[in-house]
Amino acid sequence: MSLELYQEYVEALEMLDDDLRFEYIIDLGKAAPETPFPEDFMRDENLMHGCMSRVWIIHRVEDGKHNFSGESDAVIVKGLVSMMTKSFSGLTADELAGITLDHVRKLNLGALTTQRQVGMMAMLKHMQKLAAV
Amino acid sequence: MTSNQAYDVEKIRADFPILGREVYGKSLVFLDSAASAQKPRQVISAMVEMMENDYANVHRGAHFLSQVATEKFESAREKVAQFINADKDEIIFTRGGTEAMNLVASCFGAAHLQAGDQVVTSVMEHHANIVPWQMLAETKGIEVLFVPVDARGVLDMAVFEGLLGPKVKMVSLAHVSNVLGTVNPVEEIISLAHSKDIPVMLDGCQGITHGKVDVKALDVDFYVFSGHKLYGPSGIGVLYGKKDLMNTLPPHQGGGDMIETVTLEGTTFKESPHRFEAGTPAIVEAVGLGAAIDYVSSVGMDAISVHEKLLLEQAMAKLSALEGIELIGTAPNKVSVLAFNVTGIHPLDVATVLDRQGIAVRVGQHCAEPLIKAMGYEATIRASFGMYNTLEEVDKLVTGVEKAKMMFGA
Repeated sequence: MSLELYQEYVEALEMLDDDLRFEYIIDLGKAAPETPFPEDFMRDENLMHGCMSRVWIIHRVEDGKHNFSGESDAVIVKGLVSMMTKSFSGLTADELAGITLDHVRKLNLGALTTQRQVGMMAMLKHMQKLAAV
Repeated sequence: MTSNQAYDVEKIRADFPILGREVYGKSLVFLDSAASAQKPRQVISAMVEMMENDYANVHRGAHFLSQVATEKFESAREKVAQFINADKDEIIFTRGGTEAMNLVASCFGAAHLQAGDQVVTSVMEHHANIVPWQMLAETKGIEVLFVPVDARGVLDMAVFEGLLGPKVKMVSLAHVSNVLGTVNPVEEIISLAHSKDIPVMLDGCQGITHGKVDVKALDVDFYVFSGHKLYGPSGIGVLYGKKDLMNTLPPHQGGGDMIETVTLEGTTFKESPHRFEAGTPAIVEAVGLGAAIDYVSSVGMDAISVHEKLLLEQAMAKLSALEGIELIGTAPNKVSVLAFNVTGIHPLDVATVLDRQGIAVRVGQHCAEPLIKAMGYEATIRASFGMYNTLEEVDKLVTGVEKAKMMFGA
């Protein structure tokens, strides 16, 4: 199982203090949109239900590997969904099922705001659900 | 400020232990009291004292402690009654505001509503004053009518009056909007409804905390509020209901403490309020609510109201002075609940930056999705000011918003 990008995130975040981690996520969120047609992306069927911001996740399977991309209308959440979808793309359904809360915890974002960590867990569960269908 | 010179906010803050804590290494600035207010030491101590010294079940048992606990529990009911100028037996303890509203919808619905009857509520309501009526629409075939709001967040009273036709059997409206802070013209609402013999329920969860409420002067039929927004504990709420009207309603739940006699053939029920309080009530929480009422009464609801108005005016003025601030809810009669957005920045991004500064605000739809949509938004930030907030905290909010604008480049 290749979690190269995930490891890079873990290592990058490990070196930062909380304020810098916060800025790192914002920078990820501010990066260029993931698809050339964001309005096509932001369709109701890709929407994850939440109250505070909207999150869209697109899922495709290529050669048995599951790939994801994500969007949100809030920059911070877009940073988080981008990190989550990039971290855990390219895995088989079984490998994806093996990703747990511990993987999310290791990103060290709990101190940033606990609610965002809950949100990241919800993103992971949503991705696992999409891959299981 | 001349009218409120005696208001010593620092003395009040010293009574709230949690206000001394830090969040992310910064002093906590708690601007989310409309969701749930913090508790003064007097409330915490009263609850601890109850559990350490005076606890037993109430209304049962011939023993000493049961008597003491019953006296304290019933004395809390007396305090609530005096606080809103009601009679003691018109005060029903519930688990919260939501349960109280559901109780009225369900019991009033069972006794007085039939298919085709209408209930008037509004677009600005908390979900707790929409969903129970929609559930009745499903089960009983009643119709729910909604009074619209204008761009300032003010109820359209002409439409309200027009809706009051012969099929309307209940009007159920917010006293104060939990998102916009709008104070509704409740005297006019009640007088118009009563002129057509329609009873009125007011959701007072926000109304009770920002000024004096007199249910007799209002002549309101049902008034509902929760303990935790009034600086008391969660898990306790109040339903005021006119006694004659309450005694026309069937019980909400069956069980102990609400019956006169039970045989295997049938049961006779006690009168209100006990008829609506099946099972062991929230004893400690009721005592805590009594202590909270003592506390706010000792400061004075009028003094609290003047202080909060000052905070609101400053916050509105200073936020408006920044570029790109959209104030949501600009009713002329408004309490210290302030919804706003920053143009081009998602409210969650602003709120997260504020959170990192130790500033607690709410973000989202505030359990009032139809209102947020009607005002043209997906979500908003909401800062709400309570009796313990300061002008310095208003400034910290403004600085925090400026920081968010800088970080997100708007």
